[in-house]
Amino acid sequence: MILRQIMRVVHPLRPVTLQKNILAGINGSDSYSTEIKDSVPQEEPTKKNISKAMKAYLERAKEHEDFMQKQREEFQIGKRHLANMMGEDPETFTQDDIDHAIEYLFPSGLYEKKARPLMKPPEEVFPQRKAAEFDESGRPYHFLFYTGKPNYYQVLHDISHHLIELNKFEDSMIRKKIQPDPNLALDLSGYQWIDKESLEEKLVETIGDKDYEYFINCFVRLTAVPYAYKIKDFIFEYTEPLLNQVQTYDAVKPHIDSDGKQFITVYECPRKAARGDVTIRFPGTGKITINNQGITYFEDVQSREQLLFPLIFTDMLNKVDIECNVSGGGPSGQAGALRWGIAWGLRSFVDQDIIEKMRIAGLLTKDYRTRERKKPGQWGARRKFTWKKR
Amino acid sequence: MFGITKIQFFNSNLKVLSTIIQQNGMSQYPNYYIKPIYKKDSQEELIKSGEIKKLSHLPTRAALADQTSSFSNDPLANLLINYCMREGNKILARNLVEQCFENIKRLQLEKYHKTTNEEDKHQIDLDPKSILHKAIENCKPILQLTPIKRGGVRYQVPVPITDKKAQFISMKWLIAAGQEKESTVRFNLQLARELIDAANNTGRVIKKKQDLHRQCEANRAYAHYRWS
Repeated sequence: MILRQIMRVVHPLRPVTLQKNILAGINGSDSYSTEIKDSVPQEEPTKKNISKAMKAYLERAKEHEDFMQKQREEFQIGKRHLANMMGEDPETFTQDDIDHAIEYLFPSGLYEKKARPLMKPPEEVFPQRKAAEFDESGRPYHFLFYTGKPNYYQVLHDISHHLIELNKFEDSMIRKKIQPDPNLALDLSGYQWIDKESLEEKLVETIGDKDYEYFINCFVRLTAVPYAYKIKDFIFEYTEPLLNQVQTYDAVKPHIDSDGKQFITVYECPRKAARGDVTIRFPGTGKITINNQGITYFEDVQSREQLLFPLIFTDMLNKVDIECNVSGGGPSGQAGALRWGIAWGLRSFVDQDIIEKMRIAGLLTKDYRTRERKKPGQWGARRKFTWKKR
Repeated sequence: MFGITKIQFFNSNLKVLSTIIQQNGMSQYPNYYIKPIYKKDSQEELIKSGEIKKLSHLPTRAALADQTSSFSNDPLANLLINYCMREGNKILARNLVEQCFENIKRLQLEKYHKTTNEEDKHQIDLDPKSILHKAIENCKPILQLTPIKRGGVRYQVPVPITDKKAQFISMKWLIAAGQEKESTVRFNLQLARELIDAANNTGRVIKKKQDLHRQCEANRAYAHYRWS
């Protein structure tokens, strides 16, 4: 996007200005003269005054554009090669196909996804650059250029502008004795403000932590205005939707066993070092079997309570039978693993409302916290040795 | 399109990491995770007030190993167990606190059966958990003395404390009182006695609190050292 802007600025200038630069260099002494020349075009004196910054910028822009052009061509050739290798039509080979092909041809077991081989259009691989911010005479286009962060301050400027407008509107509505409609009120639940990195990407500027904080505070203040819904589009430009929890809802349909009972099995229930699997049978009488023992498999009360927590919470105690196998770790970890397994399996036997309640009760979240390792040169994971002078 | 989403995914991952490091102390959860609301009645309250809608988009932390929706679960009792615990031996700590509750019940029942007056009988609280709550509430100090150095002299300056801090001090005193005993008496029995005394606004811990308040009153002349 920004690149295209660069192009728009650079392209009309490049062939003309570079030539004229040379021309200006040649007959530079002439332009100071007071003689009136008919044949010389009117731009000529301004061309001579071209600032050093602009010159340097034009050179850099040209260099960058050449580089990008080369990269783009290479990408196109690479894409065609890849399509031929995969035996597909190069004309209809999409980015998705490229990703699949790369994954197939260069399988990588590296954990960090960034470190795996990739092939993307050069626009996505190389960082974007700002377009020219000043004209040939060195005069900036943007009125906030000298703040150093024109785009950032432009947003703040817009916020303040909107705030003034909304206050005016509110005053006029108060004069007319009209209350704001509560149904239209701006609802930002389910959204969060964009984080600093994405804001920087959006503005193509680097901003400090304090700037970001100020930005957020300004937006919070703007959204608190009763008629903020009028500038919904502007506000939603700087928000992103929160994580969607839908995947916790779609429970598997229970299978039917030989006795005609419904059952569901959850494999790989993790917690700390413990791993287990849980089978839930419905309808049942509340029989619990853990590694071929009853609930007395756990000697301490807390672990037994943990095992029963999802059953008590969903009122399914004595309505289902539970069989589990668990190994590894200690009693607390094993109980935690089975608690998650039971809660995850019970989703198939309860309705949506209760699943949401279970989610808020923290039953459907895998507890992935584990012990932090001890570090050498330290007493433990974080604690340092007692400091001794000598 | 696919590439862009992938890049965004990386960014969001980085963001999550940075939030862990910067804003959330040593927690392994990102800061936007909400704490679990594991009691059924507290969830009902949220549904009534309509605040549950706000939570519907936020991921929840997993419930901790000592949290259940069972009627016997009490957050304050859990806290007492954790404060009693030594070297992570939670089973022993829990046993001691549960035995203490049993002792409270026994002592109160004994008192209940010994009293002949009907009115006095109704005054006696037989629920160990409500006795614990009352005892902690009664032992909470409102002020604390902090040493502040002014002109080379350390002054004991009375400062107000938060509710959480007051609760911690109150529980610390109660546990310390339970440990201050003859060697023949068990901790759980002594703690039970102290809790009953504190719930009735008598006993050593209440005296300790009053002493502290008296000292704060005596040092009120130094109070301005808090800000000057």
